[in-house]
Amino acid sequence: MHLPKANWGWASLPFLLLVWVALASRFPSYVLPQPWVVAAEALRWIEDGSLWKQFRASVLEELAGFFSAVVVAVVLGGLAGLWRHFRDFISPLNSLFMAIPPIAWAPLILIIFGFGFFSITLVIFIAAVFPMAVTIQEGVLGIREGEVRAARTLGANRWQLLGLVYLPASLPFLTAALRIGFSQGWRALVAAEMIGASQGIGWMVSMGGQIGNSSQVLLGIVLIGLLAWLMESLVFRRIERHYQSWRAA
Amino acid sequence: MTALDSINDLTPLAMSQFQTQLAARSDALHIEAVDFAYANGHTVFSNLNLRARQGEFVAILGPSGCGKTTLLNLLSGFQKPQAGRLLVDGQPTRPELPALGYVFQSPQLFPWLSALENVRFGLRVAGDKNTVQQYEHAMHYLRLVGLENAAQRLPRQLSGGMQQRVALARTLALEPQVLLMDEPFAALDAISRNSMNEETLRLWAALGQTVLFITHDIDEAVFLADRVVVLNIAPGGIHSELAIDLPRPRTNRETRRLPAFLDYRNELMERIGDVMAQSSSLLEPTFG
Repeated sequence: MHLPKANWGWASLPFLLLVWVALASRFPSYVLPQPWVVAAEALRWIEDGSLWKQFRASVLEELAGFFSAVVVAVVLGGLAGLWRHFRDFISPLNSLFMAIPPIAWAPLILIIFGFGFFSITLVIFIAAVFPMAVTIQEGVLGIREGEVRAARTLGANRWQLLGLVYLPASLPFLTAALRIGFSQGWRALVAAEMIGASQGIGWMVSMGGQIGNSSQVLLGIVLIGLLAWLMESLVFRRIERHYQSWRAA
Repeated sequence: MTALDSINDLTPLAMSQFQTQLAARSDALHIEAVDFAYANGHTVFSNLNLRARQGEFVAILGPSGCGKTTLLNLLSGFQKPQAGRLLVDGQPTRPELPALGYVFQSPQLFPWLSALENVRFGLRVAGDKNTVQQYEHAMHYLRLVGLENAAQRLPRQLSGGMQQRVALARTLALEPQVLLMDEPFAALDAISRNSMNEETLRLWAALGQTVLFITHDIDEAVFLADRVVVLNIAPGGIHSELAIDLPRPRTNRETRRLPAFLDYRNELMERIGDVMAQSSSLLEPTFG
């Protein structure tokens, strides 16, 4: 019998809570509330239905920005991976846009498009599309020439190569790109909502700060972390593990 | 010789047409006056000529740097020569040519497909059989290489030798008339390589393709081939040819012990030595 190797990952969250409790005991509750005070705040938000409203607003913006970024990144990254001239052309642009924190675009976007869903979505799009395009491009470049050659000598035409070799061979990188894009988008979303929104989790945090409600701020932070963690561990890690298994050896 | 003289009287166009027909009839593989140089001016072949009869097993032997890989790239149409023609089964070569099968140095299996699905790949893209027939056909070839029990395994779950067998089955399943084999067993240990050699001959005897087998292993070349073509170090092309007249079927236990086997081997070793000597005398001035 083999005992599973000890994994101390379970201890990290309780440890964080302990540190929180210890720190909070040194401050008055209106500065740094205890976890249970934040939990009570959460209950209040859930009961009057406004938590769901903020949560839904953020998730909808995230999904809209993320999915449009996926479509564009697949096209850009795929073309750049397959076609050297396009790669040469797009690489400096990619590096430039990746060097600029996406939130820096937010004020300009708000001036042009005004407050609201579209502006936030656009910031998320900008944050997610470039890192995803680069990851997909690297993935396509990483497809072994040998597999493509083998497929050609087996009679595959251009479209069959695309669908039966390039697509399955790039799935591991595609899933990695999705994970990166989602988390980049999520970070940008929270920041953008703090600057220019009238709802959403980011707005909730910044509003809490302005009215001096620390519990509300902390509740927002917990929600932001929770959603990112759930998506990461329940969705993206699983897909990635599935597609990487055959690459392992 | 008289036939050749009369060919020379024809116009160039008529001559090339005539030769194409001739090639189509008699030669499975026809390399004619091929020149190839890389863009940096490095010449690999000039006026390379080589033919292989229908059903012939030809081994190409040469030290590294002799242009073996380039020869295969030209034959499979991945690279184009600056001059000359390469015909496979009478047709200008290209990678997708159904008459041409290519077994690579490393298996190049699709890692996301099972062994059976790998073998089915070519049948699937050809699409001229229904799915059930495709699976039956693929299974048949997997059985031929002795891997019917590994059909559902992924490539990473197979040993190197088994992977190369799957790759062989994948190529053979398309029933090409001409098979290019690029040092397919070079990565295997000596014992597996010898057994794969025997296996190759068994399949060849059963299926009767023309095989062009590239190797740097003299024993392997003698054991397998009807004819061994020795390449010069580039630029040079063909150094010489040697017909191997050993009885078939050949087996590791018997053939490799025949005095004639050892004679062929020594002769080829001599010639390879000659190739190396020539190349080092070519190189000397650059060092001096």
